[in-house]
Amino acid sequence: MTMDGKQQGELPIISESDIVACRKVIRTLSTNAGFGITDVTRIVTAVSELARNIYVHAECGKMRWNIMHQPGKIGIELIFEDNGQGIADIEQAMQPGFSTVKSMGMGLPGVKRLMDEMRIDSIAGAGSTVTIKKWARAR
Amino acid sequence: MTYAASNYITVFDKWDDQKTFFCFTPEDAKRLSDFHPFAEKHVDEVVDGLYAHLLKFEEAQMFLDDAETLRRLKIAQRRYFLELTSGCYEEEYYENRIKVGVTHQRMGIPPRLYMGAYSYYLQLMIPLIYQYLGDDLEKANTTFSAMYKIINLDQELAMSAYIHAVEDVISKQTEEILEMSTPVIQVWEGVVATPIIGTLDSQRAQQFMEHLLEKIVESKSPIALIDITGVPQIDTATAQHLIDTINAVKLLGSKVIITGIRPAIAQTLVHLGINLQGIITKPSMSAGLKVALEMLAVGNTGFNKTN
Ligand SMILES: Nc1ncnc2c1ncn2[C@@H]1O[C@H](COP(=O)(O)OP(=O)(O)OP(=O)(O)O)[C@@H](O)[C@H]1O
Ligand SMILES: [Mg+2]
Repeated sequence: MTMDGKQQGELPIISESDIVACRKVIRTLSTNAGFGITDVTRIVTAVSELARNIYVHAECGKMRWNIMHQPGKIGIELIFEDNGQGIADIEQAMQPGFSTVKSMGMGLPGVKRLMDEMRIDSIAGAGSTVTIKKWARAR
Repeated sequence: MTYAASNYITVFDKWDDQKTFFCFTPEDAKRLSDFHPFAEKHVDEVVDGLYAHLLKFEEAQMFLDDAETLRRLKIAQRRYFLELTSGCYEEEYYENRIKVGVTHQRMGIPPRLYMGAYSYYLQLMIPLIYQYLGDDLEKANTTFSAMYKIINLDQELAMSAYIHAVEDVISKQTEEILEMSTPVIQVWEGVVATPIIGTLDSQRAQQFMEHLLEKIVESKSPIALIDITGVPQIDTATAQHLIDTINAVKLLGSKVIITGIRPAIAQTLVHLGINLQGIITKPSMSAGLKVALEMLAVGNTGFNKTN
């Protein structure tokens, strides 16, 4: 359970300070959900990558979060949505070192390693949705 | 005076659009200037009435506590009142109204006092309008409406100026905090240290790098310790900022030791595939300092003393 019992919500990603806000909210949520410090750091780092990708590559969008309960485990699902330029070749974007902005190009492949599940849906020219999940044993 | 940088204040180029938006027409200006002679006749009455009202309130008294201030304010108020019906609402008018907001904010006068005083103003003004134009109700009504619109325009400018002035204060404080948040300390002859606390966003990273490079040159230090114990997470962007900083330090002929990488961060860095090879890392600041002193002792640094 989260502090106020809320199981889902969303945050806008428009400015750099929204990236900070996303990290902060998810740090609290995942800590309260029962994730350990290493997993919390992993989740928050993934949030930082995907929120920054929206800010850098798509200008604006939002992050939706969802706390999931299943027998014996608890999970967090994060959905990053934007209506930006989209990702033309997802496989290529997932390659370590591939970047269209001369950055490190480690964000997307890094997120895949940090999280338990990751899925990218994108239509070139119309936007992207990146969904990630992480599970922990229920307390 | 330029307010173009503010998100809030209407720039003077848009002032005419603003009047249109507030439905303030040249006819309105004309009606107000027709009323001007009568306003002039009654200005002292209105201004005295206003201050008599304000002085009944403790909060307002604080700003009106000596006779000299009161005298000055009354003169300013007189001018302000007469400008309302001057018939000319151009650049000078625009700037004066902004100044009013800024001055109020600087003096610490809360918006509610400004708005409340205006409300009382209007209260005094309405009977005057109907007294003057009582036999032409149509004209009295349109004059009242014109007065109402110019007051709305006034208040909008003053309030936006308030916000602008507050924004200004905040951005100055932010700058100060930024500066304070990346202190670079000389911990030893030849060693500077800097703890990073919180997140290294692009703005702060830039500031941090400049600060560190300056301090290295100024103190001729061959070694810089960057302590990241206080950094909650490192993503690719932060890592890139750090690597850029380290490379810039190298160009000066000095070396960086990164200290305080926490286990959780070490693991995420590996997952992200970020390579810190060739960068000296130590778990704690003291371990880093020890290595630094050893390096200094054997002269294992390349700092160019002619820098
Ligand atoms: N939300 C998005 N909208 C459009 N394109 C995107 C989006 N996210 C990622 N991409 C594309 O995928 C590429 C790879 O993304 P990735 O995060 O791996 O690297 P990067 O953002 O370029 O660099 P960094 O290592 O700093 O994250 C980007 O360069 C960009 O072209
Ligand atoms: Mg990225």
